[in-house]
Amino acid sequence: MTTTRRAAVLGGNRIPFARQFGPYAEASNQDMLTSALEGLVARYGLAGERLGEVVAGAVIKHSRDFNLTREAVLGSSLSPDTPAYDVQQACGTGLEASILLANKIALGQADSGIAGGVDSASDAPVVVAERLRRKLLRLSRARSTADRAKALAQIRPTDIGIQVPGASEPRTGMTMGQHMAITAERWGITREAQDELALASHHRLATAYEAGFFDDLMTPYLGLTQDQNLRPGTTLDKLASLRTVFGEGEGATMTAGNSTPLSDGAATVLLGSEEWAQAHGLKPLAFFVDGETAAVDHVSGDEGLLMAPAYAVPRMLARQGLTLQDFDLYEIHEAFASTVLSTLAAWESESFCRDRLGLDAPLGSIDRDRLNVTGSSLAAGHPFAATGGRIVATLAKLLAERGSGSRGLVSVCAAGGQGVVAILEAA
Amino acid sequence: MAVETLPEIPAMGPLLVRAAVTARGRHGDDVPERTLRVEDATVDRARLAAYQRITGHDVADTLPQAYPWVLASPLQTALMVRPDFPLALPGLVHLENRVTTHRLLDAADPLTLEASAGPLRAHRRGRTVGVRLTAHVAGDLVWESDSVYLGRGRGDEDTVRTGGPPDAPEGPARAVWRLPENLGRRYAAVSGDVNPIHLHPLTARALGFRRHIAHGMWTYARVLSALGRGSLGPSTSRVWFTRPVELPSTVELVARTGSDGSVAAVRPAGDRSRTSAVVVLEG
Amino acid sequence: MARADGYTAFVGTPVGRRLASTLGLPRPVPLRRYEPGQPVTEGPVLVGGHGDTPALAALRGGLVAAGVDVVDEAGEDARLAGVVVDLTAAEDPADLESLRALLSPALRRLDRCARVVVVGRHPESASGVAQRAARRALEGVTRSVAKELRAGATANLVLVTEGAEAAALGTVGFLLSARSAYVDGQVVRVGGGSVPDAAVQAERPLAGTVAAVTGAARGIGAEIARTLARDGARVVCVDVPGAGAPLAAVANEVGGTALQTDVTDERAGARILEHATQRHGGLDLVVHNAGITRDKLLANTDAQRWASVLDVNLRSIVRMNETLLAPGALRAGGRVVLVSSIAGIAGNRGQSSYAASKAGVIGLVDGYAADAGLRRRRITVNAVAPGFVETEMTARIPLATREVGRRLNSLSQGGLPVDVAETVAFFAGDGQAAVTGNVVRVCGQSLLGA
Repeated sequence: MTTTRRAAVLGGNRIPFARQFGPYAEASNQDMLTSALEGLVARYGLAGERLGEVVAGAVIKHSRDFNLTREAVLGSSLSPDTPAYDVQQACGTGLEASILLANKIALGQADSGIAGGVDSASDAPVVVAERLRRKLLRLSRARSTADRAKALAQIRPTDIGIQVPGASEPRTGMTMGQHMAITAERWGITREAQDELALASHHRLATAYEAGFFDDLMTPYLGLTQDQNLRPGTTLDKLASLRTVFGEGEGATMTAGNSTPLSDGAATVLLGSEEWAQAHGLKPLAFFVDGETAAVDHVSGDEGLLMAPAYAVPRMLARQGLTLQDFDLYEIHEAFASTVLSTLAAWESESFCRDRLGLDAPLGSIDRDRLNVTGSSLAAGHPFAATGGRIVATLAKLLAERGSGSRGLVSVCAAGGQGVVAILEAA
Repeated sequence: MAVETLPEIPAMGPLLVRAAVTARGRHGDDVPERTLRVEDATVDRARLAAYQRITGHDVADTLPQAYPWVLASPLQTALMVRPDFPLALPGLVHLENRVTTHRLLDAADPLTLEASAGPLRAHRRGRTVGVRLTAHVAGDLVWESDSVYLGRGRGDEDTVRTGGPPDAPEGPARAVWRLPENLGRRYAAVSGDVNPIHLHPLTARALGFRRHIAHGMWTYARVLSALGRGSLGPSTSRVWFTRPVELPSTVELVARTGSDGSVAAVRPAGDRSRTSAVVVLEG
Repeated sequence: MARADGYTAFVGTPVGRRLASTLGLPRPVPLRRYEPGQPVTEGPVLVGGHGDTPALAALRGGLVAAGVDVVDEAGEDARLAGVVVDLTAAEDPADLESLRALLSPALRRLDRCARVVVVGRHPESASGVAQRAARRALEGVTRSVAKELRAGATANLVLVTEGAEAAALGTVGFLLSARSAYVDGQVVRVGGGSVPDAAVQAERPLAGTVAAVTGAARGIGAEIARTLARDGARVVCVDVPGAGAPLAAVANEVGGTALQTDVTDERAGARILEHATQRHGGLDLVVHNAGITRDKLLANTDAQRWASVLDVNLRSIVRMNETLLAPGALRAGGRVVLVSSIAGIAGNRGQSSYAASKAGVIGLVDGYAADAGLRRRRITVNAVAPGFVETEMTARIPLATREVGRRLNSLSQGGLPVDVAETVAFFAGDGQAAVTGNVVRVCGQSLLGA
């Protein structure tokens, strides 16, 4: 296959995002992903339809969910003949899934499909300590009663202990917040700037809800009709009153208000070729133009854990012959307010762009009025793998409203020092 | 017909205690004409989710077809522990059930639940009683269930058997379920049905069973979930409990799906000659 | 699927039968309801009347074509599934004897859930006083017969304009069929202007059409969506975003699409039209079903409560229709069905806002039906008025009292949402282009507001 065609974003559906141990505390990843699919199927009349594929994933996954997406498809109203597979690239999962599917469509390997992601911070798998795990496996291998008794006898009370997977990096032992605090300090991101970004996120998300913007992007689930984390009435004063939770001493700037909370939720995006869209009475909202993934060495401390998008974007821009200012809208995932601000600061920095990116001039600044115009993760919450789908569907709709040719940039940072970015263009 | 409106769904535990202590000495041939009713019962989402999980449904807003039965079952129990109810609840055997969902039920719907019992009928192994449960939303009948229970005793050998289950489907298993030893206790915690025959080998043996057995309504719900979204409604399903499912055990689901619905059966793994439950889903 | 209300099912049980006969309670029969593949009637239909008229010929021919066993006289042994009486030629009250002569012996031969359909002319178009009296008399006799009938049988009157006899066939077929199970003692007007012929409804009469149903997440709206889909329509299910979860479930069940929008939003009409046009190529049928109640005595009703009911139930329809009925929007030959209520006809204590809105809906039907532009585009506008509606208030009154309310109709039982939906589907049918401006009550001939 040598020729390519355009892959269109046709629409999306997500369930409102809930806070950890909130209304979705009892729901599994499969339940939430199935529900998000059901809403998408209903919105686009896909009941009984065989799609090219469904690709989604979750960052925190039970071992029983080895076929999470396929199981969700089987539980949905889609035709059971629709294949599915899981991907996982930490918080970049949802966007990476969209890029994968868009590429398959562009190559003619699929005509349609759904990309998405889901995560539950409430229904996280509980893992027993490594030593106990090995002893339990030995126990299960034991054939005779005597062997079993022997294996059992080896388990010491001190072995018993459980580990709930957290957001800490395996190689550094530091949480994402701790990593981010170092980066924020390196870039001199102030508490005030972070709080302002958080405030804007809440106010913009609230305004979008009021305008009915999410009426065709969301389906309620388990009684929740909008993102639980949203605080429409929050103020700078309220945000300023919160105590810092990451960083140390004077330099600590990060609070629960300017960091995303642990969340539960799922998001899906419908993609298709133009022919498929037309045959199904669907109007493309936007086309996938390009995608890029970067990684940085956060282990040695050479670069901040969440700074990879700062590298991915310039590479993609160069390939497309675009400048950072050639966009009508920017969607930069707010893992922390300081993540967004550090990334913007890096692009504005002459030394960073010269020394790190090898550019003659800095990428420059962006018009902040075009950034996260309907709010982002600080207000909506951030169920890791679901965020990419939320952003792609939101941006596609925003671009379609702005009119043909308008262009949007997506940037999502991810654990492991990775970053996934993409360009969408209104149909 | 006397209708008693209760302020809320009664707690199951005290009812079952009362059922146990008032079991002896029940007599008579008449089932009192009485309807117990609770208005606008709300669905506890955490409990619903636990039910959906244990019966194999997705955790979602739509109620599984057999769930209102669980909601209304304390009303049924309350009917049966009244002094004038002729049969003793302990030892009653759930023979069959029929449930109709007239429309998809949402967890946000306030349900007005009613329970009433029909007359006693002769049976080969004792006497049966029918219990009718209904759910209304804003006056519309949205869900109804008819259960048949057997009170074991001196039966009438001449009773004509009527309305038995259709033949169980033949053929290979569609699914294999390994039912853990604690399934009865787990389902009891979700449903409130703490009948000792489901809880532990010892408590079951005390009531004449070889060991403890799965709740029939669990088996029914598990089969319905395996038959897919059509079981959520609007549809009618029926179940006949033909022999107990002992715990722990491995059972097989076998099913035949046609244009007018499905017939499914649960049988012990590796034993095609016996059937534990037959479920028909008309859809 | 056997469906009956709780009481009807109860009196079908041995104990219920015993109790009902001891107390002299009504013992309603389970109504025959439509299922795909079912014939129009299960037995012979006696067709006769006053003279050999064009109407009689059209009816006989059309019913035979639809597979109905049409007979000229009530046989000795066969039970009749229905009687169709043509009185279009009645000139004088004396001519009503033809009706008596045909019906009187036939009524004793009716099967369970049988149908009586009287066909006449509009009194307003009579040429003289005597003719007008004769025509008006049909309504009285039909309604009385409806009350005389037992065992789930119904009687209804069809008024047809001259030249529209063949167009009345679809209506007569509906009233003979199980689709009209709970329609009793009603008058349906057919004709006016140039009208195409109609046939008795086929198996999937709405195949190829696109329908939008508001308030489709629950209750009657969900049943309407289901029934229209069963009849072949592609259904756009509309409800407020907050009801998105059950709405998605209904849309997926009927293989339609879900549109989350509040009908009071000023862009609701545009959204529905755009969705239907873009996704399904156009819009043929709109069912304005969304409605709310905020029951309170008028003495205790504040402005906000009052306005919310009128806004959702009435003003939103006007606003949406400005878009939906604009030239080029709803396709030519399209249908609009509104949902009124018996409360809008009879009034109901504590429901003044609701009754106002539902009476207003009847006004809308009258207004739209008289609209020359809509007539030119062959767009019909009708309403269904569901009968005994149990509100939260009535749901709190003791069961016995409520049951009495439910039994206060000729069929001695409550209707089901599907009964309302079947009548909506009838109005939507391809053949019903000449049926406009009607408000058909689906109430089992309730005594309220009769």
